[in-house]
Amino acid sequence: MTLWGIVALAAITYGSRALALAVLPKPSERIQHLLERVPPPLFAGLAALSLFDEDGVLASAPTLGALCGAILASPFRSLPASLVGGAIGYLIGAVLS
Amino acid sequence: MPAVSRADARAAIVTGIAPAFAIFVFGTIYGATVGPQVGDDRTLLASVIVFSGALQFATARLLAEGASIPVILVAGALLNIRHVLLGAALRPRIEGSRVRRAALAWFMIDEAAGLALAAERAALVLFVTGAMGYLAWIAGTGLGLYGAELAELEDVADAVFPVLFTGLAAMSVRHRSDAVRTVAAAGITVVVAFVVPAARPILPAAAAAAVSLIGSDR
Repeated sequence: MTLWGIVALAAITYGSRALALAVLPKPSERIQHLLERVPPPLFAGLAALSLFDEDGVLASAPTLGALCGAILASPFRSLPASLVGGAIGYLIGAVLS
Repeated sequence: MPAVSRADARAAIVTGIAPAFAIFVFGTIYGATVGPQVGDDRTLLASVIVFSGALQFATARLLAEGASIPVILVAGALLNIRHVLLGAALRPRIEGSRVRRAALAWFMIDEAAGLALAAERAALVLFVTGAMGYLAWIAGTGLGLYGAELAELEDVADAVFPVLFTGLAAMSVRHRSDAVRTVAAAGITVVVAFVVPAARPILPAAAAAAVSLIGSDR
């Protein structure tokens, strides 16, 4: 990778982060209302991608167990609860694998 | 803007520990695997100025497959679309001058953005957890370059991100309709990613944007 390639990737990454947060104007109330809906499905999509890799190979049993544990803990709507649920699920997955 | 209390700062640091740990482990793996491929200096430089694990790993994979620089840059732009959505969602919660917001944008990795969206002190949490992630990423990359082997922790690190994202999704659900859209987006992502693996980089953002346009808040 060339030096300028790395610099270009840095510019793209920072640019994407700064665009909405610092450059564009504050969204209208209607757009804001729609944007408030985005985070939960976005994070769920990011979590879902961990189920399998680009070749369709399923994640390891501990990882799947951790994900199940976190999902079961989700009604508590608390990050510590998700981490505890995930840890328990990870251990169960490790034992079963 | 209210002053930052010690309790707020301590809470933000505690919140950032788990993601920072996972980022550190992935940093060592990145340094150890990519360093021999592109050189130590450029590997470390990438971590310092790009600061995006997803993009940096994807770039390394594309380089190994012989992709050209323009292809890598386009893939990078697509992968980063989610930052625009997260930034737009965070924008109403981050006050202050454009310079302040531009500075905070540097730390807007997925984990820090998610934690900030769920926090009362969004700017503080964004800065603290993002800075912890940044230091962890650089430190991990450096240690990986110089021979640290934490591969046995890779399974643990692999599990932290989906757990963290699931927790962040749960914390940011406000209505039943949010929960329905969340499950729908996860389902769409899984199905489309399985059928069209090339779409993986943009899928979470595309699925989230699509389901967000549907229905009312109940």
